[in-house]
Amino acid sequence: MATSRTLATAAVCTAVALGAVTGCSSSGGFGDTSAKQSTGAGQSLTVLIASSGEAETAAVKAATAAWAQRTGNTVTVQIASNINQQLGQAFAGGNPPDLFYVNSDQFANYAKGGSLYAYGEQIPDASDFSEQLRKAFSHDGRLTCLPKDSSTLALAVNTTMWQQAGLTEADYPTTWQQLADDAAKLTKDGVTGLVTAPDYQRLGALFKQAGSWITNPEQTAMTADAPGNRQALEYVQGLLKAGSAKYVADVDAGWGGEALGKGRAAMTIEGNWLKGAMAKDYPNVPYKVLPLPAGPAGPGTLAFSNCWGIAAKSRHQAAGVDLVKQLTSADQQLEFAKAFGVMPSRTSALATYAEKYPESKAWVDGVAHAQPPVTVPGFNQVLTQFNTDLQSLRTADPAAVLAALQRNGEQVVKNAR
Amino acid sequence: MLARFPRPLRLLGYAVLLGFALLYLLPFLLQLANSFKTDPDAAAHPMTLLPDGGTLDSYRRLFGLAHGVENVPFLGWLGNSVLVTVLVTAGRVLFDSMAGYALARIAFPGRRLLYGFVLAVMAVPGVVLLIPKFLVLKSFGMFDTYGGMVLPLLVDAAGIFIMRQFFVSVPREIEEAARIDGAGTFRIFWSVVLPMSRPSLIALTVLSFQGSWNEFTHFLVSTQSSEHDTLTTGLAHFVSGGLGSGTQYPLKLAAALVSTVPVAVLFFCFQRQFVRGANSGSSKG
Amino acid sequence: MPADPRPRGLHGLRGLRGLREGAWGWLFTTPMVLVLGLFMVLPIAMALWVSLLHWDGQSNPFDGSADFVGLDNYRRLFTVDGLDRTLFATSLRNTLYYVVLTVPVQTVLALALALAVNQRLLRGRGALRTVFYFPSVTSSIAVSTVFLFLFQGSGAVNRMLGWVGVQGPNWFADPRGLVWLVLGWFGVDQPAPTAGGPLGLAWSEWFAGPSVAMCTLILMAVWTTSGTFMLIFLAALQDVPRELEEAAALDGAGRRQVLRHVTLPALRPVLFLVLTLGLISTWQVFDQVYVMGKGAPGNTTLTPAYLSYSSGFDNADYGQGAAIAFVLLGLVLLLTAVQRWALRERDGAPGPRSKGVRRAAR
Repeated sequence: MATSRTLATAAVCTAVALGAVTGCSSSGGFGDTSAKQSTGAGQSLTVLIASSGEAETAAVKAATAAWAQRTGNTVTVQIASNINQQLGQAFAGGNPPDLFYVNSDQFANYAKGGSLYAYGEQIPDASDFSEQLRKAFSHDGRLTCLPKDSSTLALAVNTTMWQQAGLTEADYPTTWQQLADDAAKLTKDGVTGLVTAPDYQRLGALFKQAGSWITNPEQTAMTADAPGNRQALEYVQGLLKAGSAKYVADVDAGWGGEALGKGRAAMTIEGNWLKGAMAKDYPNVPYKVLPLPAGPAGPGTLAFSNCWGIAAKSRHQAAGVDLVKQLTSADQQLEFAKAFGVMPSRTSALATYAEKYPESKAWVDGVAHAQPPVTVPGFNQVLTQFNTDLQSLRTADPAAVLAALQRNGEQVVKNAR
Repeated sequence: MLARFPRPLRLLGYAVLLGFALLYLLPFLLQLANSFKTDPDAAAHPMTLLPDGGTLDSYRRLFGLAHGVENVPFLGWLGNSVLVTVLVTAGRVLFDSMAGYALARIAFPGRRLLYGFVLAVMAVPGVVLLIPKFLVLKSFGMFDTYGGMVLPLLVDAAGIFIMRQFFVSVPREIEEAARIDGAGTFRIFWSVVLPMSRPSLIALTVLSFQGSWNEFTHFLVSTQSSEHDTLTTGLAHFVSGGLGSGTQYPLKLAAALVSTVPVAVLFFCFQRQFVRGANSGSSKG
Repeated sequence: MPADPRPRGLHGLRGLRGLREGAWGWLFTTPMVLVLGLFMVLPIAMALWVSLLHWDGQSNPFDGSADFVGLDNYRRLFTVDGLDRTLFATSLRNTLYYVVLTVPVQTVLALALALAVNQRLLRGRGALRTVFYFPSVTSSIAVSTVFLFLFQGSGAVNRMLGWVGVQGPNWFADPRGLVWLVLGWFGVDQPAPTAGGPLGLAWSEWFAGPSVAMCTLILMAVWTTSGTFMLIFLAALQDVPRELEEAAALDGAGRRQVLRHVTLPALRPVLFLVLTLGLISTWQVFDQVYVMGKGAPGNTTLTPAYLSYSSGFDNADYGQGAAIAFVLLGLVLLLTAVQRWALRERDGAPGPRSKGVRRAAR
């Protein structure tokens, strides 16, 4: 009899355990799409950022803390190690942070999947952001996500090496030919004339200078195999073969700034993030920032930006919009510019920035003829593969590299429509 | 008897073996040494074993004692790891031995089927379950909860297999004697068989502890917010950050070192059980 | 499952007891059935369904709102020319080199260490065994952290190479394949990638060998797993009857002959076991890839396991990710089946209770 009783007890226990397993399901299964909105003070917001370093982290924390204090809410800032992966998992998991950086190459993915709350209409002075940036962060014609900052590429040269090579300011390159000549003159004794990262985020500027780009302006068709692109890659290949240009890994550097800072490069192509890094890591290296030389079709550079995304599933959307307004205000953007060297995304603030930091003029001026990034959903993978192909450009056939890009991209563009 | 090696050969053998031992130890020694250095010192002199005027900065930052610089939420990771490991180990020891006993000793319909099921599950590698586990946890609403972190790990097929192999080898007579004395199945299991199985239970405990302490992929796909980071996921996120965080090696090495300590202590106390575990791997898939 | 209360004589009693046994049996195995069923079998079933969808992770995959695409996700891996296939082929190529280099090296090293540590007259054999085995019990994440530090461009490893006059590469940033690297010393450049080659990957890519970055992963795998396999060999070595070796020695066989004709043949089943265990586990490499570069540089450390993860969580293509996972699962199950078939009914492999294991544990 005793056994039967134990058996019964055990059966009950198991049943309870079973219930606990299935009962653990709180809310938040797949069907849950509504987000009940909180109002008033005392809300708790989570902000996820991809930080370039301690300066950026501290600045964002200070700015959000100031807002939190003013409004009576609390803000937690989390630093992502791989923001695309973390956001992707968070969206699929149904538990995203309230506010986060959105990379321009991921924007379309998130917007198309309905993960972003489109709040652009609530920003009365949205026209202060450049049209190009607004377009990059609009989905179905609605501004979804406010640009956090803006960046362009320029040519940074080591002025000491410049003089040592017997060059003067008059020799600053304004054409591809001059760039090639200068790079050849600067290459000697362990110094390479031009060092750059082997990715489309740098070399793509030459596409624009040659009058073409990876897609058509509407991003509905691939134009990667356009003759201009081939001309650009053949030009870079020529420099690489001549030895007057090298990729960063070939000079044991992680990126252009490191190559310039360690004295292994006389010139590099980088964006305005270079300024903060040089000041911090290599304060004694003298350099000057010049506009990128013009190509056969005129001047051209690339524009980059992140935007402040608000989750469609956030329960603090109103508070989130208020926080974004604060973070993208002209004053705050100039504050960020001071703290970690980013360029404001507001046209008005950009003008102030240009006055305050004349040494960054080349980057500011670049905005006028900058090519915005490709924002087709799923295109990120295609560009990663293109970057891989660019690594072996010295020995590769430029036409074949571009043909692969064209082929890979066509599928994605077709799927996106 | 085989003759001893001639002396020069013997010395050479010792030298080679010692060289290999050094090769196996050196990474840990360098890790220890560099965790007491400053960032520039570690970058400039990664090979020196005695830091030049060592610093405890890394450890201060880990344990939240540093001022003026960002601390690492290391204690949170540690707390999560301890919590999860304790729960998982307790669950595995209980449930694995119960299931192992049933599969070895209790005659019940479906036993062969269940044993086949365990063998089949053992062959499924964890890394193919990344997306599947995420889907299931998401459907149950358990994604990013402690429940989702712990429950799926509470039973493991390999542990059941080890326990079953052990119980099969226990002589039946002891149970028969207890049964004649009127003990029921549960009593026999709990008060007769389990006390006899101490060595195997200790081995299972040690293996479960090590397994859940070092578990990475499951926590990677079952959690998302940083308050659920364990030592493995926290450290992985911290270390694999972009180029900007390429420095701070002393801090990263210290975090890795402290997270290794519990398993190391366990290892030196229970080496035998680890050895048995390594060999039980030989019969699993 | 209440027992039938009606007495039915002796037979009925036995039946009652059998029923009760049966209930206990199922009760004891309920936690196992629940956990393994809910978190192993059900996920696999769900993922099998998702692998037939085009699902971006932002809707419910089970309510029909995601596109059902049939076997498209699998076709994109094998037959449709495109980026997915190239990436998949690249990950297969990488892992193939990883497996082909890691498995033999770790097996030979483990065997050598076991033979050395098994010398009865060796001093400090216990300490040596501990040292060789310790890396195996540490967490892959912690160990990866240490290796990242050691193999930096100006890190400890390159300093050591510098002492012997070798300029080490920038390990984790170097996507060059070993084959082309070596051929490069003789003036042969890697040819431009041309179309052709299986799965749309150029032949020059297939034959590139592991990249320099991949070599660090291989070194780490050897370092962390050779200890485990050494213990398995050690257990088997101690199961080799000592009388056999001594008899051979008495017959005048030299040390090398004893090793070749007595010891190694006795180890053959274990050797096979270690090889297959190595094969199975190396195909699953993931943690190290996650920490040490996420496929970079130039996709040369991309593995199928990581590609599956990143297709889902990075590129929001969960169907594709699940499909890759199932291809990998099929491969691993195939290897496991071969192993179990070959080791079936063979007692050569030491179980956890074998004499050798107990002796090795001492």
